[in-house]
Amino acid sequence: MTRLAVEDRTRFLIRRDHPWWRVLAVVGILVVWELFARIGWVPVLFLPSPIGVLREGADMIVSGEIAMHVAASLRRLVLGFAVGAALGISVGIAVGFFSIAEAVGTPVIAATFPIPKIALLPLLILWLGIGEASKVAVIALGVFFPMAINTYTGVRQADPLLVRAAVAFGARRWSVIRKVMLPSALPMIFAGLRLGAGTALLLLVAAEMIAVESGIGFLVLHAGNLMQTTKLMVGIVLLSLLGVLSHWSLNRLERVAISWRQDH
Amino acid sequence: MIRSLLALVLLVTFTLPAHAADKVKVGVLKLTSSATLFVGVEKGFFKEFGVEPELVYFQAAAPIATALAAGQVDVGATGLTAALYNIVLGGEKIWVVADKGREWPGYPLTAIVVQNELYDGGLRGVTDLKGKRIGITQLGSTFHYHLGNVLEKHGLTLNDVKIVPLQAMGAAMEALKGKQVDAIMLPQPFPGTAEAQGFGRILAWGGDLFPWQIAAVFYSKKFAAERERAVNFMKGYAKAARYYHDAVLAQKDGGRAPGPNYDEVVAITAKYTGGKPEIIRIGFPYQDRNGRLLTADIAKQIDWWVKHGFMKSALPLSEVVDTRFLETALKALEK
Repeated sequence: MTRLAVEDRTRFLIRRDHPWWRVLAVVGILVVWELFARIGWVPVLFLPSPIGVLREGADMIVSGEIAMHVAASLRRLVLGFAVGAALGISVGIAVGFFSIAEAVGTPVIAATFPIPKIALLPLLILWLGIGEASKVAVIALGVFFPMAINTYTGVRQADPLLVRAAVAFGARRWSVIRKVMLPSALPMIFAGLRLGAGTALLLLVAAEMIAVESGIGFLVLHAGNLMQTTKLMVGIVLLSLLGVLSHWSLNRLERVAISWRQDH
Repeated sequence: MIRSLLALVLLVTFTLPAHAADKVKVGVLKLTSSATLFVGVEKGFFKEFGVEPELVYFQAAAPIATALAAGQVDVGATGLTAALYNIVLGGEKIWVVADKGREWPGYPLTAIVVQNELYDGGLRGVTDLKGKRIGITQLGSTFHYHLGNVLEKHGLTLNDVKIVPLQAMGAAMEALKGKQVDAIMLPQPFPGTAEAQGFGRILAWGGDLFPWQIAAVFYSKKFAAERERAVNFMKGYAKAARYYHDAVLAQKDGGRAPGPNYDEVVAITAKYTGGKPEIIRIGFPYQDRNGRLLTADIAKQIDWWVKHGFMKSALPLSEVVDTRFLETALKALEK
């Protein structure tokens, strides 16, 4: 029996990892950027150099400025996120499970969901004052809707066969919710959390641009007002890091919570 | 196709520079404090010296400084903010060349306005502001500087009050109305409006508490290099400044005495700002009759911003102030 050398014609379909290209892309952009600033084609005032941004960032870490802003932002973010997610999941389960709640909830959510939450900020300030409450509330609102809608969809999509099987084995209403519906909705809930995390970051920056003295949004706006562009860039880098961090920690949390799923 | 493209290129190359050569782009705010520029344009004082200004309107002072550094306007006329000094500190050139408005005793410009209830409750002096929330537009703005210095003059510091940056003047007004802040510091016409609508009371006028060089005329690096035109622009400006001063700023026996052209300047200001004449009549900001700067005050401002952490380091005056354009122009006018 002879082996025939057959050309693998699906080879072009294979998607390989290119770890070096990943690193090169990031480093390349940084080097070109630094070069632009060094040559002086773009004034440093308008596009600060990466090294300048790093140096400024280091100064701000030493002075404690970064810690102060990040702590303030994280507090608002975590609080708003927790309140919004808790409310969203509870409402989502209620609407998904109880028919009266569904009849009441779906039209209300459908009517209020499309409102850009930033537009509500002035109203929230009027109701809750200029302090922390209005900032946390707008983030909570932004997180609430994707959470409620995703949880509702997840609960509705629970396999009826599993539900019937659970009931056949003697499960009561709460057991069915807790042991069948909630776990099967978990992937959707996590998708909602990811959507919410993006929205939360956006609303955080918007909320921190009014009447605050700390936070990354304030740092960006304030540095812009003062034309301290290097500082402004440090703020933008911090926002990017915060986004990456929230994505990463949600991934970790998902792996723990949905340990039976193998696909990631 | 190619021919039409070529024609277009030719058209652009021949029309653009010629166009750019006669018009001087002047960045201003649509406020009473820009009146001198409006007078100069309307009365043709700039044209008299061969300069054709084109007014470009902005919403706030700091963007004018940015536009100057980016070369989008040739001349700026607005408030002196930390942003302006930071631009120069960042390596771009902007020259402060003439006076465009001072906070001055007896001339209402910016006021501290407090909630009606607090005023009735006995809040009557600057020292009573201790512990209060005070709304301004932005940190690093002229209001921030002014308020800080007023407090320091009265033995307080900025840390004794809570500064609330609200970004826009309208937002600060709304915050006082909605009792989100206890006091605000804003320029006319806002203080007058707050009193008229009954939710605010004017505690004091900024110029009476702390006089300073709040606004100036700036030149971009490119415009300053065109020495002859830059001086000619100053000739027109000095003439406008004298006209403005004699019409609306003259004083007699401790009170303001409207000059012969008072109504004309009010009408010109109303035309360019779109404001109501009766509100414009409340007051014009003071400025030097010859447009001369309080140069020493600029140094004081830079020191203050550095001391309070809004500038990284001090800036020598010779890097940011150049009064030679105006002085040359004034000499030429005397002849």
